[in-house]
This record gives sequence, structure tokens and C-alpha cells, in this order.
Amino acid sequence: MPVLLIIVPLLALLVLNLPWMRLMNRLALWVGLILCLIQFFLVLHSPSFFWEAPPLWLGRLFLFAPSLDYLSLVMFLAIAIVGASALLVCRYSIHDLLEPVKPGACSHKRFLVINLLILALTGMNGVVLANDLFSLYVFLEITAVASYILIVAEKGRDAFEGAFKYLVMSAVATALILAAIALLMLTAGDLSYANIKLAMSASSDSHIVLAAVAMLVVGLFIKGGLIPFHGWLPDAYSAAPAAVSVLLAGIVTKTTGVYTLIRIVLSVIGFSDTLENLLLLIGAASMLVGALAALGQSDFKRMLAYSSISQVGYMVLGLGAGTILGLAGSIFHLFNHAIFKSLLFVNAAAVEQQTGTRDMNRMGGIAEKMPVTGCTSIIAFLSTAGIPPLAGFWSKLIIIVALWQSGHIAYAVLAILASLLTLAYFLSMQRRVFFGKLAAGFENLKEANVWILIPACVLAAITIGVGIGIPWLFETFLLPIRSLL
Amino acid sequence: MMAYTQALFSAGIIFTVLLAVAALYCLLFSRNLIRILIGLELLTKSVTLLIALAGHITGHMALAQTMIITLIVIEVVVIAVAAGIVIGAQRHNQSLDVRMLRNLKG
Repeated sequence: MPVLLIIVPLLALLVLNLPWMRLMNRLALWVGLILCLIQFFLVLHSPSFFWEAPPLWLGRLFLFAPSLDYLSLVMFLAIAIVGASALLVCRYSIHDLLEPVKPGACSHKRFLVINLLILALTGMNGVVLANDLFSLYVFLEITAVASYILIVAEKGRDAFEGAFKYLVMSAVATALILAAIALLMLTAGDLSYANIKLAMSASSDSHIVLAAVAMLVVGLFIKGGLIPFHGWLPDAYSAAPAAVSVLLAGIVTKTTGVYTLIRIVLSVIGFSDTLENLLLLIGAASMLVGALAALGQSDFKRMLAYSSISQVGYMVLGLGAGTILGLAGSIFHLFNHAIFKSLLFVNAAAVEQQTGTRDMNRMGGIAEKMPVTGCTSIIAFLSTAGIPPLAGFWSKLIIIVALWQSGHIAYAVLAILASLLTLAYFLSMQRRVFFGKLAAGFENLKEANVWILIPACVLAAITIGVGIGIPWLFETFLLPIRSLL
Repeated sequence: MMAYTQALFSAGIIFTVLLAVAALYCLLFSRNLIRILIGLELLTKSVTLLIALAGHITGHMALAQTMIITLIVIEVVVIAVAAGIVIGAQRHNQSLDVRMLRNLKG
């Protein structure tokens, strides 16, 4: 009954919004955390009575039959981990219960943010479960609408600007995806992945199918923030509240963009030379341009956003190799990226909250005053840059080996070079923010409180654990990916 | 019958594309935030038309109707949120000019 992963959070949202405001205000965070933990343990222990049982009467209300394979399980795991971190950051960074209630002002902002976070998690679970293009569209929109509101939760001027750009780009992407759905419906007469795949193999070179595939892929590129459709991404990430940046960068754009792209390529379109070349080109461009743009940033979160574009480039590059190894690298990097990029955004939230600024040029020597944040951010950046034995090294290594094996040697070399660029901009970040002499005005800086140190330490432990445990994970995590092709 | 379907398809596609081009023009060249929202609405309308056309031609009108009703509901939600964001931007900038949204760059 995997459909419960959508129904239970929705019911939880209903219960939370029953009119016992004061009680629910206190419960909301714990309800969200428990939902994430349940999802986490369901994936880790994978009890067959949950994943394989036929749907109950509640599940039959849904018209779509959820599909479940290995890729979905990986995504559920990542969604649960990042969701829990975002909820904890939310507890840390949004203060409202103690503030005096101004007339007309929203006195329960944290409650609203937690509700919307749970809604976004529900939407992403739906995206992962969807088995036909139409439910995919519905869940994509649920996730997107929840994230628009989340970005403007703090009502800052920049937040409205970032959210408006995100909304317009995302709406155009949605229109492209819908147009592709209409054209595919014209050829297949149905919208389930399997039927469309059948119809497409029957008429693979018709102009309508080609136009549909092009629109679908471009729509997903916009959703994933790949070059040249990345304009909205740094604005939305850097303007959003801290907790929302964690969620957006860690999992939202990766689920709605990259995971959906992988799923569509695997289950609907299938690999072809043209598609592989397009993916390789866009992936390499994102990887390099994202890394180069990140070098020139002075805003902490903006630099992380460009770094995110660069890492998404790696995933698309791995997918573009078109082999099972490339796919494995791509999925593994998707998971690793969810962990280490969330960790970096958690650290950014801590630094922003404690110092009151995101300008890296005004910081310096913070590691002295905030040792845990400094230490975990070093782990995260080494993992992002691909330093052995951390998690990011293995996934990048797999992607590069896959590119080499499939004959795309130039792209493999570019991937290595981009890794050096990653190291360069993160070293520059570390030097400006955490190392060196303590900047003036930060003498009384304190370490962030426990709400943010818990997710930081847990995420860092996962990054190290995945990196060191790779011989064991190779059997349990990477080999099952063979079943996907 | 074949010729009728062909003609219907061509006419529908032409109209959809015209609508979409008008919407894209509106999105790209208008400087008023509300007009951009209207452009988004137009774009969605052209896609809705395409879905109705696909449903009519393939004879899956029930599927197309379900899709279109859901689509309209979701579209209303998106536009309501978008209008909220526009109001927020207007309160901060005292203007609906899209050129005021230039604070974030780099």
C-alpha cells in the first residue's frame, strides 16, 4: 500500500488544521518529524506487507495504480531525510511563538511553514509514485504550489521577486509538459507510461512524437534548473527562508526535475542517440557554467545554488551516458547530493542566523566560534568536490567511469575539470567564511543551538557513512539498479 | 471522415499555436506583472484546447474531460498564489512594473 505515503500526510494535514490552534501549533513539528521517520524506516526495513500489499479501500479511491521500483525507494529515503532536516531547521530559524502578536500579522508562521512543508513532501511522494503522466502533472503542481508559498513565507522583498521568477518559469514548464501530454495522448490514446511507450515504439519517428518528447524534456530541464533555463534557481534559493532553501535545493528541484527526467527516460522515451547527445551537452554545460558562476559569488546561499546547478549537471551527464553504470552513478549522485547539499544549506542557515548576514566578504574565522558548523561544512564540501573516501567521490567516480566506458572521453575529462572547479569555489568559501582571522564584530558569536546541530551532525554522519560503507552499499544500493533497465 | 479529422486537427493546431504565440508575446514583452499573469493564463488555455482536441480526435473524450477539469482547478490555485505574490511585490515596490524586480542578480 505505498499509496498510504500520500494519504497519511494528507490526513495529518487535515487533523493539524482542526480548530485547536494552540495544541496543533505545538504538535505540528512532531507530526512532520514522525511522518518523515516512519517513511525512513519503511524504506530501510522494507517490510513486504507495506510495499507489496494490495491497496485497501482507501487506496482504491485513487484512479492511478502506483508504481514502485528500486528508484522510488531511493527517492523516498532522500525525501524523508531532507524533509526531517528542513523541519528541524524550521524549528530553529522561524521564531514566532514568543513574539507579540501584532494586529493583522500572522502569529503562527512556523505552523504554516510546517504545514506547507508536509504538503510539499506529500506532493513529492506522489511524483515518485506516479505511474501515468497525468498524476505526475498533478503532483508536480502540488509540490510547486507549496514551494511558491514557502518561498514567500517571510514576506521579504527579495522573496517575492524570487518566487515570481520561479512561478513564471515553472508555469511555462508546466504548460510545455501539458502540451507534450496532449500530443502523446493524440498518438497513444492513453496516459500510462507503459501504453505511451508501446505507442511510441510503434511510431517512433513521427513529427508529433518528436515534438512531444522535445517539449517534455525541455519542461523538465526548466523544472530542474539546468543551463540555459537556470535563471530562476539562484534567485529562488537565495531569497527563500533557510528551511525552505534546504528543502528546495536538497530535494524539490531534484524530484520534480531530475528524478522525473530519469523516470520518463527510463519508462517512456527510452534512450536514443539524439537524446543522449542532448543530455550530455546540457549536462556538461550546466556542470561548467554552474561551477564558474559559483566562483564569482559573494552571497553564501547564492553560491550554493550555483553549485547545485553544477551538481545537477553531473546527474544529467551520468544519465546521458546511456549505460546502466551511468544510470547507477546518476541515481547515487542524486541521493548523495540530497544529503550534502542539504547539509551545506543547513550550515548556511546556522551562519546566517548567528551572524545576521550572508555576505561572505564580511565573514571570517567563524569556525573558531562555531566549531560544529565549521566541521560539518568541511565534510559536506569535501564530499561535493569528490574527495575520497566521502560519498560524493564514489558517485562522481562512477559517472566518470561510465562516461569513459561509453566512449565519451571528452565529457569524462570535462567532469574531472569541473570537479576541480568545485574544489576551487568551496575552498574560497571556506577561506572567506570559516578559516582565517575572526572578522571584526563577531567576537560574541555563539554556536547555533541544538535544533540545527542535530540535522547537521546526522547529515554529516550519513555522508561519511555512505562513503566508507561503499563496499557494503555496492551490493545493496548500486547493484539493484540493474533491474531498472 | 479521415479528411474531416485531418482538417479539424490542422485547424485546431493552428489556433492553439496562435494562442500560444500570443501568450508568449505577452509573457516576454509586457512589463506589468498582472499582464504576465494573463499571459500565463493564455498559455494554459492554449494547452487546454490542445488536450480537448486530442481527446476529440482519439475518441477519449472522458479522459480529456477529467484532465481538463483537474487542470482548471490546479490552474486557479496557481493563479491565486501568483496573484498573492504580485500583491506582495506591489506592496514592497509600490509599483507593478516588472523592472522593479531587479534586486537579485549575479
